[in-house]
Amino acid sequence: MIARERLNQLKDKFGSAILRADLPSDRQLFVWVQPEAVKELCRHIFRDLDARYVISIGADDRPFSGKFIVAHDFAFDTDHVLCSLLAQLPGDEPKIESISGVVPAANWAEREMRDLVGIESVGHPYPKRLVLPDGWPEDVHPLRKDVPWNHVPPEFKEGASFEFEKTPEGCTVVPFGPFHPTLDEPAHFRLYVEGEMVRGCEYRGFMAHRGIEKLAESVMSYNDIPVLAERICGICGCVHSVAYTQAVEAAAALRPPPRAEYIRTILLEMERLHSHLLWVGLACHIVGFDTLFMQAFRIREPVMWMAEKITGNRKTYGLCVVGGVRWDITPELKAELNQTLNKLQAEWEPLVGAVSRDKNIQKRTRGVGVADRNVVKNAGAVGPVARAAGVDIDCRRDHPYAAYDRVDFRVITATGCDVWSRVVVRMKEVFESIAIIRQCLEKMEPGPLQLEIKDELPVGRIGLSSVEAPRGESHHFVITGENNRPRRWRVRAPTYQNLQAVPAMIRDQQIADMTISLGSIDPCFSCTDRMETIELRSGERKTWPQKELLALSQGKK
Amino acid sequence: MLKELCQKMFGRSLWVYHANSGGCNGCDIEVLNALTPYYDAERFGIRLVGSPRHADVMLCQGPGMRATARALRAAYEAMPAPKLVFAIGSCACGGGMWFDSYSVLGPVEKVVPVNYYILGCPPRPEAIIYGVAVALGLMEKKAAPVEFKQTELPIPRYHPEDLRRQGDLVIYEKAEKV
Amino acid sequence: MPEGFRGRPVFDGNKCVGCGGCANNCPARSILIFDVCQELRILQYVGGRCTYCGRCAEVCPEKAITMSREFETSTNDIGDAQQRMELFMSTCQRCGRCFKDESALEKLKLTGYRFDDLQNQRWIFGAGAYQENQPAVKDIFIEMDW
Repeated sequence: MIARERLNQLKDKFGSAILRADLPSDRQLFVWVQPEAVKELCRHIFRDLDARYVISIGADDRPFSGKFIVAHDFAFDTDHVLCSLLAQLPGDEPKIESISGVVPAANWAEREMRDLVGIESVGHPYPKRLVLPDGWPEDVHPLRKDVPWNHVPPEFKEGASFEFEKTPEGCTVVPFGPFHPTLDEPAHFRLYVEGEMVRGCEYRGFMAHRGIEKLAESVMSYNDIPVLAERICGICGCVHSVAYTQAVEAAAALRPPPRAEYIRTILLEMERLHSHLLWVGLACHIVGFDTLFMQAFRIREPVMWMAEKITGNRKTYGLCVVGGVRWDITPELKAELNQTLNKLQAEWEPLVGAVSRDKNIQKRTRGVGVADRNVVKNAGAVGPVARAAGVDIDCRRDHPYAAYDRVDFRVITATGCDVWSRVVVRMKEVFESIAIIRQCLEKMEPGPLQLEIKDELPVGRIGLSSVEAPRGESHHFVITGENNRPRRWRVRAPTYQNLQAVPAMIRDQQIADMTISLGSIDPCFSCTDRMETIELRSGERKTWPQKELLALSQGKK
Repeated sequence: MLKELCQKMFGRSLWVYHANSGGCNGCDIEVLNALTPYYDAERFGIRLVGSPRHADVMLCQGPGMRATARALRAAYEAMPAPKLVFAIGSCACGGGMWFDSYSVLGPVEKVVPVNYYILGCPPRPEAIIYGVAVALGLMEKKAAPVEFKQTELPIPRYHPEDLRRQGDLVIYEKAEKV
Repeated sequence: MPEGFRGRPVFDGNKCVGCGGCANNCPARSILIFDVCQELRILQYVGGRCTYCGRCAEVCPEKAITMSREFETSTNDIGDAQQRMELFMSTCQRCGRCFKDESALEKLKLTGYRFDDLQNQRWIFGAGAYQENQPAVKDIFIEMDW
């Protein structure tokens, strides 16, 4: 109902620009528009209707319709609707007006479109290479259908390095990365520093770009891709495989059996548990409180053991297939899981108390890494980062999937907007996760685990799916295709948007706080795709070895 | 020879440098788990250090990527000899699922020479500790290639067209050996 | 060590029919098949990039692949993880398709002189059956889409 109302609202205002609209269900809306009207429509949806920006996607549809497709996804959280604005661009000259002026969060997505598919965003404020490795030739776009997945362009320059912007007057550059002890993954941040205070930064990342989307379109098949999707990230693997499976199920209008939905929910929540526990441990390690690091990891081990008992592996569950799940929770496992949860809860409460009373941690984290509502909206930040700023969004409640519409839970928000609030939000979410798992175990009925899929899946349908990962909303966009594999699969991890909030967070903070601010968004660079500091006044470049930076962060009083 | 060298040079404690060249970090978290109370690798003297210059062993995780190949090689060369390189996880050992993708060079051995492979996706912390123990010569390795042959060559190859009748028997006129 | 733990996959050459289902469904393309000639098919499992997902074991029609519980698989030579099977795919004399030749005991069925039937108790093997156009045991039923 509400999706139709929104559609009617848009039609009233932009009647002529809207070519076609699809409403496959009450919660997904696909609007095909003229390319010229895209910017104005996006502005209207983002500012006037106050929707949340999710991602922009470029797809090469030339073998099928002769055109490129550009999609801008938005989410109406209070209406429980996911909306996608699609436009078709001519096959020989894909150009579209950039929406980064009106939707600042689209900055990276448009750069990625240009790198991988070759769609030019005219008027983009910073059209620089984002995703592909340095030395990759300019005109080879891997996600185009005429480029094979294992293509090595002959013009690839082996030794090329990233060209950073020219440093402003009087700067010290401190390169940081790609290998750094607190950031598990390679990433390269370049900070502009004046004395001890950070004035700006530049980010060079995407070193973990493995060409997953291209592989999925070329060599994998529908049921192989969940196995691929789990290895996108080392901690939110289950999230990506569930999100992909749900997107395909939405595109093909399939509904998995209820028991499968409950099992998916249980494993998703278990993943949230061990992710938050890991994060709290890591955050304490960054500020120098190693005891809590060890304790948090000790408390989290039983969750990994339970996951291993249910699925066969501690982290890569291999859980989903299109239409169901592969593993079952037997009554013995259920009893054991309940026991583990009781023990976990009993051990977590004193730890929460210890963290809350610790003045040191609070001094290090209050007022640090502030990202208020404006920053959150403009960057499209999601997850605990947004909830700590008082923005009440949570995909489990706003776009219910799996069994979340059948369980009760609270969405934890805080109003501090700083790192301390994020710590509080994550710690409390652990209790909510435990409650959700318990409810699912009670409500689960015996039944089939997988759907019998008799026919091939329909071709050319679009499916969207948003799943709440421990870090925020993970959004998948799938266009189904021939030969048992999708035509286009786009993964948007929460860290993609959260990282765009980092420059605003670290401005006017000290260098030593950089690590904890960055850590507070719980960066998962492998989901997303290093730090140099530039001293603004003296013009020196200084290399900080990683140990020094960690020591600086830990040693700060 | 490498085993004796390891046993002599490294004694009993290894300082380990962790280098992630673009994987998913699952193996990385299992390495962290290996250092925590349940699997406690620190009781063997294994310590995680922050700089390759202090390290004896480099734990490589993630496939060799075009973007980080240079940095990985630089980290390897910054390590003082004698040094060992462990490739952890299926991405580092064989390239993983994306071994032929456009931005992946392949397994880590295309960038740095690898001494020991610890397989798994992700390998359990016990597997990682076992791998380090094998490297240190504390344990024997258990893996070996398996080959199974159902028939030995040459085998006779019959074609149905060659059947001929001879009284009560049916024989093949020609027998081709393959 | 839990029961369902997915360790190293173990290929049992005695049960494998050489259908290639595992190779088609391996996401890491870790199982390779090479047909040397019509009778010989080599199936090789490259252990280096196996991700231990278990799909090969799930799709195998003969249950020839089991996910063992071994995880202590580190070595200093990546070739140690390899498993290779050379399978004899004998040609069915009637329809020319490949079928599996089982253990040494069953090989006896195909050699020598055997003329079963004995008033339709069946069990005919041998070249004579081919000549007389009589059906052999273990008929292969092929679904035809007309």
